Amino acid sequence: MAANLARLLECNIRCNNAAAVQSGWRLFSNQRQQQTEVEDDEEFRVLNLRTIKQQARRREIKKNAVQPPRTSRMPVDQDWTAVWSGPRSFHPASVPLPLRQGYTERGAAAPSKYANAELMKIPNFLHLTPPAIRQQCEAIKKFCTPWPKGLETEAKWKRPFPIEVITTDYCHSLPTIRHPEARRVTITLKLSDLKFDAHAKDKFLRLVGERYNQETGVLTFSADRCPMRKQNYDYAMYLLTACYHESFVTEPWEATKSEADMEVYQFERNQAKRSAEGILNWNATGEQKDAPSANYAKSVEALINEGENEYNIAKYKEEVLKMLKIAI
Amino acid sequence: MKMLRKQFVNLSRVSTHLPRNVLASRAASRGAEMSTNVAPAETATAPPPVINEFRTGVTNPGEQSELHVAKFYTIPIEEKKQIFSGGGLPKQYEKQIKTFTEACLMVRSPALELLHYIKNADLTKPAVRYVLYGDNGVGKTLTMAHVLHYGALNDFLLVHVPWAPNWMKRPKEAANSASQEGFIDLPFDAAAWLIHFKAQNSKLLQRLQLKTSKEYVWSKRESTPAGATLIELVEHGIARIKYASETTAALISELKQLATAGQCKIMVAIDGYNAFFHPITRIFSDNKQRVSPDRITLTQPFLDITSYDWTNGVCVLSVDKIAMTEGYMSSYMPRYLLGKEGFEHLDPFVPVHVGNYTDKEFISYINYYLDRHWISKTQPGFEEQLKFLSNMNPYTLMRLVRGL
Amino acid sequence: MGFVPYTTLSSLRTLKCCRLMSMYPPHFAEPILKKDSEIINKKDVSHVPIKAAPNDLSDSIFYGVLKNKLLKYITKKGNGSLAKQLLTDTLETIKRTQIERLNLINAEKENVIIDTERILVNAIENSRPLLQLSEIKRGGVKYQVPIPLTEKKSYFLAMKWLLDAAREKDRKVHLPDKLAWEILDAAHGQGRVIKKKDDLHRQCESNRAYAHYRWS
Repeated sequence: MAANLARLLECNIRCNNAAAVQSGWRLFSNQRQQQTEVEDDEEFRVLNLRTIKQQARRREIKKNAVQPPRTSRMPVDQDWTAVWSGPRSFHPASVPLPLRQGYTERGAAAPSKYANAELMKIPNFLHLTPPAIRQQCEAIKKFCTPWPKGLETEAKWKRPFPIEVITTDYCHSLPTIRHPEARRVTITLKLSDLKFDAHAKDKFLRLVGERYNQETGVLTFSADRCPMRKQNYDYAMYLLTACYHESFVTEPWEATKSEADMEVYQFERNQAKRSAEGILNWNATGEQKDAPSANYAKSVEALINEGENEYNIAKYKEEVLKMLKIAI
Repeated sequence: MKMLRKQFVNLSRVSTHLPRNVLASRAASRGAEMSTNVAPAETATAPPPVINEFRTGVTNPGEQSELHVAKFYTIPIEEKKQIFSGGGLPKQYEKQIKTFTEACLMVRSPALELLHYIKNADLTKPAVRYVLYGDNGVGKTLTMAHVLHYGALNDFLLVHVPWAPNWMKRPKEAANSASQEGFIDLPFDAAAWLIHFKAQNSKLLQRLQLKTSKEYVWSKRESTPAGATLIELVEHGIARIKYASETTAALISELKQLATAGQCKIMVAIDGYNAFFHPITRIFSDNKQRVSPDRITLTQPFLDITSYDWTNGVCVLSVDKIAMTEGYMSSYMPRYLLGKEGFEHLDPFVPVHVGNYTDKEFISYINYYLDRHWISKTQPGFEEQLKFLSNMNPYTLMRLVRGL
Repeated sequence: MGFVPYTTLSSLRTLKCCRLMSMYPPHFAEPILKKDSEIINKKDVSHVPIKAAPNDLSDSIFYGVLKNKLLKYITKKGNGSLAKQLLTDTLETIKRTQIERLNLINAEKENVIIDTERILVNAIENSRPLLQLSEIKRGGVKYQVPIPLTEKKSYFLAMKWLLDAAREKDRKVHLPDKLAWEILDAAHGQGRVIKKKDDLHRQCESNRAYAHYRWS
């Protein structure tokens, strides 16, 4: 009875031990020491009716030893374009710069370049170093023609080529290489490059409307109604040509333009001239009539066209005094 | 007028209220000791005004020259009464004249410039129009008053409208015109103007004995025969208020003819002239619509006399921002204020700019105020403060100084 | 006419420092009005904390302590600009009447004060009451007990009486005109405000027997 009891107890203790070993195995999978301890206990074998399946041992993953970063082996005078030949996201081991980037708490240094997502996220221009560009320019030089002589400065080439054509090419990652905005064509030129008479200029400006910038004197035609760039360019040039030639056509109804339709005040057409002549020729009997001076006409036109300011009004006063022969 | 009368009533009330305090003030000996250091100059209140460095004895504007710039000259009381009894000086200035017991005007360069032009003008040529312009409160009206004084002394017949916008903005009464269809008469204003004209020119009219050139028929029974004197014409207009507007028109056309014939010379002075070219007035017609100024019968004669088709005359006009209404007041320049129509009507005119005080004028004015006991706070540097606060604008200075 | 020099007026401003609930500790100095005041040694002031200047305090010629005080009493519904206009009009009217009087009389021109601020001070000093009647209940009976006034309160009452007298007017009379007359009257020791003050003093005098109720 007592022996039975003792065996039972022993069995319990063993079971407990085995449980402890098992849990130990799971928890600390790479400690082999304990494993051997279990094997050493084999001499106290107990009856094991249901054999516990031997658990499959985990395969050990063999890792190569981490190489030291490539930067440590780089010579000072290496060819950088060979290291970083194209656009590529940042790689810490290839860039021999002590970069730091990122946010830390106050006072701490910014994270280093290793495993630094902040550095990888941002685009870099390490492939566009000046020597790389120089190298590439050198490479494509054989495909270029020399710059025409006599067109060295902007002022020089603006004269034979007054029209500036502005288009945009887009480089992007889509299945199609076409970009809808690439068809847009804008042509600009100075109004002073076109030759007009007074009527044509007025009419041209009215036709052109807000395509003309009053302050800079630049005409801008922009076309995007056709699907192809070539078509748009042709259309813009057509617009320019058509407006220019149409402006020289005088329609019969243009003769009915009244004073209210005038865009600028003209002394010749206005009451100012009649009043001035009336005063100058007061009581005049002879055939010849005094006409108001050109300076006076100019001052009145300036006063009304440019708006009133101290200068214009002083000028006007001076001219009036001169014309009316009032003592100055 | 009404406002002015009310002011007089108030002031007279104040002055009747005062004499009983005189004794008390005499009793107040301590207070009296304190008041001696109030103003530096003491002797200027005696009837013959003392010539200080800021005053000039040359009371004839025709004789004033550059030497007298920034100096004050006194308009004699009778002349002031003759010229300005019906208006012509700003209300505040009238008040100041009453308080200071003398009508003093400062000789300023715009007025001198105008006088120079007028004196040297060839009167056989068409009438020259001078347009005074400037910001609010710079003294356009007082410049005009100065010129008017000259005109009154030099035998000009004065055709003076003290403030034209009054007709458009607050007429006494508006009635449909009997003679012109669709036009509006301002009988009371016209009569008031005739009274003003008579007051200014009665002496000269009597001396010149100007006659009407044609017969004016007012109604079946009333008419003014050709050859009647202008005084009769004016008096008819005053007596028969109904026909005052037409009388004004007749009078002005007569004056124009007489001047062109060389029988008299005329000085036209219209303050707030741009009111004639304002798009609308505050007068309503029969169909409850605002009338434009050219539908008022008074407008036509005054536009007529400011055109260039007559001689022996001079027109001094002023354009003013406050003659306009809200929305038309963004600039004080003559072309803007006159508008297209007004500019075409006046062109070619001589613009004369009236500006703020110069340093010299400012100091002179401060001295004048001190002399008249008007400024009693004379801490060191008070002129500087006033100069900066007022920007040397005459009206602003006047308003600032009143509480000191 | 009791003329009191400006020094008493300065107490109007310094009274503030005795306030119990002041936001400033007592060692804070008052701000100095004049830029180049020679009274104050700059070294003394350099390490003393100074109270923030009130925003209506100014160095200009238009500023007066008493004027400012009166301005605030005239103000209705916070419309300070109107009050300023009214007070300026008042002072203008006073000045006009005084100058017109100066021009009227021939002799003793020195007796006419033209400085409006001095007239205002005189008027207020003349109409300041010394005592006030206060209702105190003793043994079921209410007694009108004369009580001395603080300086501040007396200034307040003087200005309030002047204003009340000015506001009691015909609709057609403008406040500046009426106020100007009241101030001129008071400055010369007559008028309704002075009468009111005298009446109050007389009543206090007749109730002097009750004076002990103030503390018993």
